[in-house]
Amino acid sequence: MNGPLSGVRVLEVAQYTFVPAAGAVLADWGAEVVKVEHAERGDAQRGIVKLLGHDVYSQGSSFFPVMEGPNRGKRSIGLALDNPASRPVLTELIRRSDVFLTNYLPGARAKLGIELDAVRAINPDIVYVRGSGFGQRGPEADKGGYDSTAFWARGGSAAGATAPGAERLTRMPSGAYGDCTGGMTIAGGIAAALYKRATTGETSVVDVSLLGVGAWTTQFTVNLALMNGGPLPENSRPKHGSAANPLSGSYRTADGRWLELTMLQPGRYWPEFCAAVGRPDLVTDPRFADTAALMANAAAAAEVVAQILAARPLAEWIDVLGKVAGQWAVVQNSWEVAQDESLRANGGIATVVDAEGVPRELVASPVQFDQAPPELTRAPQFAEHTDEVLRELGLSDEELIALKIVGAAT
Amino acid sequence: MKAGIGQTLTSAVDATTVVVVRWPDADLELTCGGAAMLDAKDPTAGSGTPDPAQSAGSLLGKRYVDEAGGVEVLCTKAGTGTLAVGGTPLVIKTAQPLPASD
Repeated sequence: MNGPLSGVRVLEVAQYTFVPAAGAVLADWGAEVVKVEHAERGDAQRGIVKLLGHDVYSQGSSFFPVMEGPNRGKRSIGLALDNPASRPVLTELIRRSDVFLTNYLPGARAKLGIELDAVRAINPDIVYVRGSGFGQRGPEADKGGYDSTAFWARGGSAAGATAPGAERLTRMPSGAYGDCTGGMTIAGGIAAALYKRATTGETSVVDVSLLGVGAWTTQFTVNLALMNGGPLPENSRPKHGSAANPLSGSYRTADGRWLELTMLQPGRYWPEFCAAVGRPDLVTDPRFADTAALMANAAAAAEVVAQILAARPLAEWIDVLGKVAGQWAVVQNSWEVAQDESLRANGGIATVVDAEGVPRELVASPVQFDQAPPELTRAPQFAEHTDEVLRELGLSDEELIALKIVGAAT
Repeated sequence: MKAGIGQTLTSAVDATTVVVVRWPDADLELTCGGAAMLDAKDPTAGSGTPDPAQSAGSLLGKRYVDEAGGVEVLCTKAGTGTLAVGGTPLVIKTAQPLPASD
């Protein structure tokens, strides 16, 4: 099956996850992505040894999920952009590409000759895409950022996820948490730019910052603060339920698992919930007898709900609550996410074959076209496709070796 | 031998040809298929058969390194013999990223 971006050529000069993840999404959508890696060090991502305390290498195998996620479906060329001998190759790659994708900082872009003007001078129609920490304008345009700094800390998520008075700040729940969603955001921007180019002939510069993505994700509270004209009052969540709804919040089961209830209209779901859990008496309890009473006495109702749910194990609640119309979910760990029946039924976990021929599984990007999941191929090894790409550009074996002798290509 | 940077060496027993990229200030023997490699301009071109136990081969355009000794060569003509320094096979050079952790 050809993806919707089949035939689109993307040239990526980027490292780590945020911008490479955009390239991975475009590859999932059918684009042909060539990734330029530093001729000696490769993508700095290849040096990551631990994330959130977890070892990230697969012992005795080339399979490296930290690289596979943001780089599947690409080809890798090792090119020393700071070596003038590599310039004709880069020029030809730019000339034949539809999209130029980078997260290099302005100083590095200028030094390496990959600033907007330099790239457009070679290919006036190319869509020029910059991912950054803090945007291309303003006092921090030259400053680098990671998702933990620009997206999570600066973008409001860290404060929002940390309870008032907590001993420790809540860190991102997964490595590259903001980068992954940020990369998807960039991919969407590129798709719109390609549509404009196809329909009007005009190309675009596409800019996405991790700070902007962070503010977009926390916009409900940021917008409230804006309306408030100042910081929102510190609000401690009750131990159970929420301030006005006993059927919204997290509850523990007898076996220590969490259930997340989100039945936003408590008056509607209370009778059904009480009947399902075997407590029809609570429906007529005067404290909870109508919506207004239930919301006014939410704390008392939540105590009762907590006692009920703590009395039986998860497996029983899956059965009992499976029959109610209100929304709720089991809180799943990462392994359970990977095994999720609905996720798998929709192609959310894809198989790739690693360099040793072993089938492996990865999370698919979440946009699906034509009711079928994308077919993925593994991420490239460092500079795996240098020779193949250089030959496609018309270089002879002698020219290819000459580039390697002077260290311009790997 | 003490090879110089940019010097071309050829195998005495197969088609392998390499260009020296790094060579420490030391006298080392680079072998291919068990036989010492020769300067490409050496008129006494070698003849012989490769050691069957040393037939890992080399790939065109790949860099091979001896991680301990500091030798690095670039394969400019592929062959069947194993490249080795002092009996230790060279390995294909991989990315050298700086270790990172969050």
